[in-house]
Amino acid sequence: MAREKIYLEEVFPSPFMQLWGIFRKTPVAMVGFCCFIFLILLAIFAPIIAPYSPVDGNLQMILLPPAWHVDGNVSYLLGTDELGRDMLSRLMYGTSLTFGLSFIVVIFSLVIGVVIGSLSALTHGIKSSFLNHFLDVVLSIPSLLLAIIIVAILGPGISNTVWAIAIVFIPQFIHITRYAVKEEFRKDYVLASRLDGASNFRILYYSVFPNIVERLMSQATLAQSAAILDIATLGFLGLGAQIPLPEWGAILANGLERFYIAPWTVYLPGLAILFAVVATNLVGEGIRHALKLRKES
Amino acid sequence: MLTFTLRRISLFIFTMLVLTLLSFSLSFLFPGDTVINHSGQTNATAAELVELKASYQMDKNIVKQYGAYLGHILNGDFGQSMASQSPINNEIIELLPATIELSLVALLIAMLVGIPLGFIAAINHNKASDNAILSFAMIGYSIPVFWLGLLAILVFSITLGWLPSAGQISLLFEIEFVTGIQFIDILLSDSPYKWQAFSNASAHIILPACVIALAPATIFIRLSRAAMIEVLAASYIRAARAKGLTFQQIIFRHAIRNALIKIIRHVGLQFANLVTIAMVTEVIFSWPGIGRWLIESIFQRDYTAIQSGLLVLSCFIFIIHILTDFIYAALNPLARGNKHGA
Amino acid sequence: MAVLTMNYRPVYLLVVITIVSLLVGCDEGDKLSLSERSVIYCSEGSPETFNPQLSTSGTTTDAISKQLYNSLIVYKGKDNTLGPSLAKDWHVTRDGKMITFYLRQDVQFHQTGYFSPTRLFNADDVLFSFNRILDKEHSFHQVSGGQYPFFQSIKFSQLVNKVEKINDFTVRFVLKRNDSSFLANLATDYAAILSAEYGEKLLDAHTQHEIDIFPIGTGPFKLKDYRVGSLIRFYRHDFYWQEKAKIEQLVFDISPSKTSRLTKLLAKECDVSSYPIAHEKIAERNDLELRSITSLNVGYFGFNTKKAPFDNKLVRQAISLAINKQALIDTVYRSQAARARSILPETSWAYDPNTPELGYDPVRAKSLLEVAGYAQGFTMDIWAMPLQRAYNPNAITMAKLIQADLKKIGVKVKIVSYEWSTFLRRLSLGEHQSFLLGWNADNPEPDNFFTPMLSCSASEKGNNRTFWCNKKFDLLLQKALKTTNMNKRKVYYSQAMEIINEEMPLLPIAHSKRFQARGINVEGDILSTFGGISFYQVSKKDLSSNPSPLDKPKHSKKVSK
Repeated sequence: MAREKIYLEEVFPSPFMQLWGIFRKTPVAMVGFCCFIFLILLAIFAPIIAPYSPVDGNLQMILLPPAWHVDGNVSYLLGTDELGRDMLSRLMYGTSLTFGLSFIVVIFSLVIGVVIGSLSALTHGIKSSFLNHFLDVVLSIPSLLLAIIIVAILGPGISNTVWAIAIVFIPQFIHITRYAVKEEFRKDYVLASRLDGASNFRILYYSVFPNIVERLMSQATLAQSAAILDIATLGFLGLGAQIPLPEWGAILANGLERFYIAPWTVYLPGLAILFAVVATNLVGEGIRHALKLRKES
Repeated sequence: MLTFTLRRISLFIFTMLVLTLLSFSLSFLFPGDTVINHSGQTNATAAELVELKASYQMDKNIVKQYGAYLGHILNGDFGQSMASQSPINNEIIELLPATIELSLVALLIAMLVGIPLGFIAAINHNKASDNAILSFAMIGYSIPVFWLGLLAILVFSITLGWLPSAGQISLLFEIEFVTGIQFIDILLSDSPYKWQAFSNASAHIILPACVIALAPATIFIRLSRAAMIEVLAASYIRAARAKGLTFQQIIFRHAIRNALIKIIRHVGLQFANLVTIAMVTEVIFSWPGIGRWLIESIFQRDYTAIQSGLLVLSCFIFIIHILTDFIYAALNPLARGNKHGA
Repeated sequence: MAVLTMNYRPVYLLVVITIVSLLVGCDEGDKLSLSERSVIYCSEGSPETFNPQLSTSGTTTDAISKQLYNSLIVYKGKDNTLGPSLAKDWHVTRDGKMITFYLRQDVQFHQTGYFSPTRLFNADDVLFSFNRILDKEHSFHQVSGGQYPFFQSIKFSQLVNKVEKINDFTVRFVLKRNDSSFLANLATDYAAILSAEYGEKLLDAHTQHEIDIFPIGTGPFKLKDYRVGSLIRFYRHDFYWQEKAKIEQLVFDISPSKTSRLTKLLAKECDVSSYPIAHEKIAERNDLELRSITSLNVGYFGFNTKKAPFDNKLVRQAISLAINKQALIDTVYRSQAARARSILPETSWAYDPNTPELGYDPVRAKSLLEVAGYAQGFTMDIWAMPLQRAYNPNAITMAKLIQADLKKIGVKVKIVSYEWSTFLRRLSLGEHQSFLLGWNADNPEPDNFFTPMLSCSASEKGNNRTFWCNKKFDLLLQKALKTTNMNKRKVYYSQAMEIINEEMPLLPIAHSKRFQARGINVEGDILSTFGGISFYQVSKKDLSSNPSPLDKPKHSKKVSK
């Protein structure tokens, strides 16, 4: 116990804070990070901010172009769709579906993956080798294909999509956790606390996790950008969110019919997806960049 | 090399068993009667059902059932489609070549564009062109493929009128089905419009293939950039430089070759990704391939088709995976050791 | 090591060659003539069969009937009088029970890769075609399921006593009773004439089922190739008994997606497109034109009266009252349709403007639901057909609007849709609670709206997916058929309509125009008021050699097709 205090009195910032220090100084990454935070806020507060209902339309205001267009109307900033539903409100609600759900899915898979991954990192022998092979096979299947397979089994729908994508992402977190934990376990500081008599779990919790958390975060951003694209793609194909849910991919598929007379119903959700994925990827790039710099320094 | 081959073959057989087992168990997971899910005979009479049950050995234990199912598959009997009531293997034989054709062309484009760009970025590491290429890669990686496909159609087919938007070839041309790979079939046919058909088919494939190629190309950019940076930092490059070779000589004689070997390893993995993108793209470009067929089958709850389609598609992906492993091993002796390629 | 870089050169070269050949390819003169001689039609779905006797689906009728087959008689001209076709003349006895047809003697059947006729069309073919439907013992009756929905719905076999061959070119139909709609029914696309000789050949080869897959008829086109879900290719029938068709090749490009049909039309990948969307977009292009025809049709919202809660009349009325029809017409039909007061359109002679109409009254709807014991509301499904028809250009959107309407009276709606053939199959099994569908008239007979859609016989075998069966209603229809007095018939039909409005097995929504879009280089009529479309009259002119002054310079680029 006494020794632990000595660790805490070290003046070095924690690895995580070091990373944040570097991250903060990369302007592109910070822009991405702000967008990311913005999207999270939007996902949470969409029902409060959105001016209209995402489902009920105003039949007097059908296919209104965005406000900057000559025929636009300022009270419908981004125009309306074929049922007179406000595009802005639909996109806002869509944030909580496409972006928000992908965030939750990734956190869920992350937690499950980390638990299984760190447990398996402590095992050896045949069990470990089997897991290795199994992960190799599963990871070689693209996430979208696997998600399509699972949705084919469970049947179309947003909740099934979410489950499918959650299941699909667990293996990669198991893999990375396992790999990272094993690597850390070989390092001297772990040996030190082991000599101290710390149990495996104690070592995991106090020593290893703080050192691998940013690698997990980097993986999580990768997973999240894939999850957004997967949810949207499934929605677009009609396998994910069903009508009338304002999921971005589903909005786009819905607008397809009027692509030539109301192109904004296709451009806008596409841009929203692009924006969310780019923001996520920028954060991920930022973390990876910072990791590399920290290693070099 | 022998142990490597044996290893791969055993892995192949093992994976095929797992895949067929998965496909077999899907029949139980899907709603409805297992035999009907296996065979797709939704309109079977009672007598036919008894016969079917016997042929799938449904009254025996699960292992025997699996054996019977495997027997059917090995005989090329995937049952019939619940929606169209035509044999699934016929449909797959017609559709799979179109997907293979599209994916291979897309892979070619992705590699021809991605790898050189990645090399250029690596050679100009941390310069403006490197950043430009990386930003392009980031955007390309983030664009939803279905959106990109739509924009491509709008710009190139409708507004500019340069390229057709749908299908493999204009329906005016009658090309006899031989291999299913359109270009080969055109060359084999004795139509008087052969060369027009050929140029028409090339015009049709450009747009979907480019759309599919974008995301894998960006990955090839990253891979080749990383590989090249690594190679350029290697000691043998330093040795070459010390020998007095020009920069060009170093790049073309040593660096590219060694970097390429590193990339080939990933082609199999990228191909799986590419086929998935192709599935979505086929829907947008009305490409008569297996991806579009599979997605339609999901809509129609055509369980027999889903089951067989997935089996065939995953086998195909896996075969390509193994093939690239072999190529990699043939080119790079180091890979033949105990380490697993994946 | 330089070898490796060399290796890439041929690949680049190949790409360059491909691109060059592609650009050159567009200029060649031969190609234009191929496209000039052919028409590509973007159709909305695959036909279920190649025999019009077996199906009443509009998609099937469009694809096969007037292309491959002829009937004995047809509707001619603007006033829809009956005219000769394979029968050059006919005679009806005074009691209306015997109808004699005198056949043409110069009609050839299709010569195809799978069949070569050795004789001309004669009375045997007529007997073969109708006996297949009438005679349960006929060797072809059970082929392809033995269901003849149109003929079953009009109780054809109960009506016709026998079909007699008087001589090789004279045929007589003997009826059990007088039926004023008999000739009209024989003039529909469903009463197609098949080849008896072909039937015999298949019978010998024990491949009877091929008669409905590889069709042989007398129509202006013959089948060359069919790939399920992708295309139907027809060649011209060069020995057609009238002047042969102007185009040599007709291709149906099966494109169920509305957007992809429009895209193909805009990109000139098809010449004609069925059920176009985005009329505004087509109107603003001057290389395309939009054609429409007032067709006799009705789009409706039907209830499965065999399934709770729709076995209760009050629930059906309540749901009908809660739907704002006018909003549906404004949104879904974009005001290109007339609101349906009943199932009969205004253009029909039997239409009665005094037919009462159940209006839009959500308050009364709510109270009716309470009376029916569903004060808390309930959950229901709406089956929306997946494709576009004139009577319902967008069933999914309509379902969404109905969903919103019904939410207001506390009824939750789940929207269900399948691919067309699956949709129809499941619908015939009665898996649905309610559905959005419609009916296109096959002939100007008002009976065509009642019997095939709502009679008891149609509910057992046929198109009555409401499974509603009302004896009083059926009796009225039979009375109307037995008399030839127009005024009496009109009265019977308006009484029948009153019953529908009271019982509400379905809610009629709209009567609409049928649209078609095409390039301006396509000439000749395709749409017809009744039944399927026909490409017999179509020709194509070459626009590129004779550029129209209308062409915008922006679009006058080479046709990319």
